[in-house]
Amino acid sequence: MSMAADAALAVSARDITKRYGGVIALNGVSLDVQQGEIFGIIGPNGAGKSTLFDILCGITEPSSGSIRIMGGDIGGLAPHVIARSGVARTFQRTAVFAESTVTENLLFGRHTSFRHGVMGRIFGTGSYAQDQQSYHDRAEEVLSLIGLDGDRERKAGVLAYGVQRRLAVGVALMSDPKIMFLDEPAAGMNGRETADFIALIRAIAPGRTILIVEHDMAVIRQLCGRALVVVDGKPVVVDEPHHVLRHPEVVAAYLGADDDE
Amino acid sequence: MTAKRPGAMAGTASGSMVRELVYVACAVACIAALGLTFSDPFIVTLAGYTCAFALFALSINVILGGVGEVPLGQCLFFGVGSYGVAIGMGKLGLPFEVAVLAALVLSVVWAAIIGAITLRLTGAYFSIVSWGLTGVAMVAANNLDDITGGPLGLFGFPPIKVGPLELSDPQTYFMVTAFILLAAILFLVAVRRSPFGAAMESVRQNPHLARSVGVDVARVRLKAFLLSAPLAALAGALSVPYTQIVTPEVFNVANTVDGLLMVLLGGARLIIGPVIGAGMFTLIPQVMNLDPNVRILVFSSIIILIMMFAPGGLHQLGLALRDRFGRKKDVHGS
Repeated sequence: MSMAADAALAVSARDITKRYGGVIALNGVSLDVQQGEIFGIIGPNGAGKSTLFDILCGITEPSSGSIRIMGGDIGGLAPHVIARSGVARTFQRTAVFAESTVTENLLFGRHTSFRHGVMGRIFGTGSYAQDQQSYHDRAEEVLSLIGLDGDRERKAGVLAYGVQRRLAVGVALMSDPKIMFLDEPAAGMNGRETADFIALIRAIAPGRTILIVEHDMAVIRQLCGRALVVVDGKPVVVDEPHHVLRHPEVVAAYLGADDDE
Repeated sequence: MTAKRPGAMAGTASGSMVRELVYVACAVACIAALGLTFSDPFIVTLAGYTCAFALFALSINVILGGVGEVPLGQCLFFGVGSYGVAIGMGKLGLPFEVAVLAALVLSVVWAAIIGAITLRLTGAYFSIVSWGLTGVAMVAANNLDDITGGPLGLFGFPPIKVGPLELSDPQTYFMVTAFILLAAILFLVAVRRSPFGAAMESVRQNPHLARSVGVDVARVRLKAFLLSAPLAALAGALSVPYTQIVTPEVFNVANTVDGLLMVLLGGARLIIGPVIGAGMFTLIPQVMNLDPNVRILVFSSIIILIMMFAPGGLHQLGLALRDRFGRKKDVHGS
């Protein structure tokens, strides 16, 4: 919020508006996320959270407004270029490469770090050996972080849903991102899986900025320092989760919504 | 975690290098044995042509199994290879090798132009537009009489030689095409295990997620297209010693469909799947002595059955049997 701390902002959005034809999905949303923060975005179904999320990480172009990530404007940049600058995200659906094994998923996540090409692969050059070593080291770290050590050769598609979500975080972690966007990471998890997931996010949070869109208020309350509430495409309040959840407009919005879990 | 283990990027087990060398040695031995023992010119020439067409199936699978598009226009590059040899040798008097090389370069140039336009499209749109372009090529070949010989095509080439090797000799033809095919397979294995191979696979499975981990999806698709084109052109060039004539029919979509059937028969997920498919595709009609029209019927039925029971191709049945009865050791073929 403060002007002085601009340099420390990981994500900064100004007056984001998004129209789909005549429908206004987002209407003047601004937010500032400090480096190292775990920031939540909540709101009833259809409030525009996912649209906001896609805009913040550069997948969708806003109709108007600007986004800066680590101080740089991302307007007009291709999603893969943004990804290469240390931004990773997970998806709500199709979060993993279902036909591939756990280790292959992690290999795909490592894409930006590889320096060797096909010829390097054939002749086993130095860059190939280096790439391989650093991939293996990172994969081992990530596998133990996400607790999938014993499942490395299993196909991602056959893993339990909650486990797939952890793998999705693992894929994102392979590039050691500075900023992570997690799109409803705990959706569809049971209580135990959610608890494990919260522990995982806490473990990976140091040194990173994390933005979470989430329905599960327990997750928001336990993880986030601050949360933004979006209702009908408009920002309602940004504050600590326990304050946010008592805000009269938020209470009204959630009591009015009938299909929230 | 020693560094120089082949396949470790793709997660294959230890000791695999020795095993892979054994596979390659076996393949070389088989080619040599087949080439030296069989002397029936018809069978040996057909085997050589099968190898050439297997290259075409490999090219199709770079796109189908690689990035998940159905390249109905792939026979365009096959035709560039065939006409490249026919025009280069017949009209310009170039040696076979030079004509082939020129055709390969030309196919890459065409792929760059066509890819830049068509690869913005995905799914059925990509397939239909690329199919349409082969129609354009066919009309051009039919009407540019001075260059292509028009509807009658080009024929009556000087003896085709690769260095000192006479491709008019059936056994030599077979050995040359078979070893080229083997080299192409080994190259594609290396491609699949390289970061580019991983990027292709991530694009095929989930382009959005691939983008989010930093893969330039458009670039990967274009590179795959540029890789597939010279393979198809090489197949077209190597089929000329067998066909001895090049007509506008090379641009017929039925050509591509034959290649696609081979890929589906053998399995798109396996690098040698298309080669297995090509073998079956030539072998079955010969053994059963099928009429061309019946052939289509038989293969269409086989494809329907495969899609129902083994959508990953016939090798999937083998894997399923192994998983059921054998120990589950290896993870996947490459």
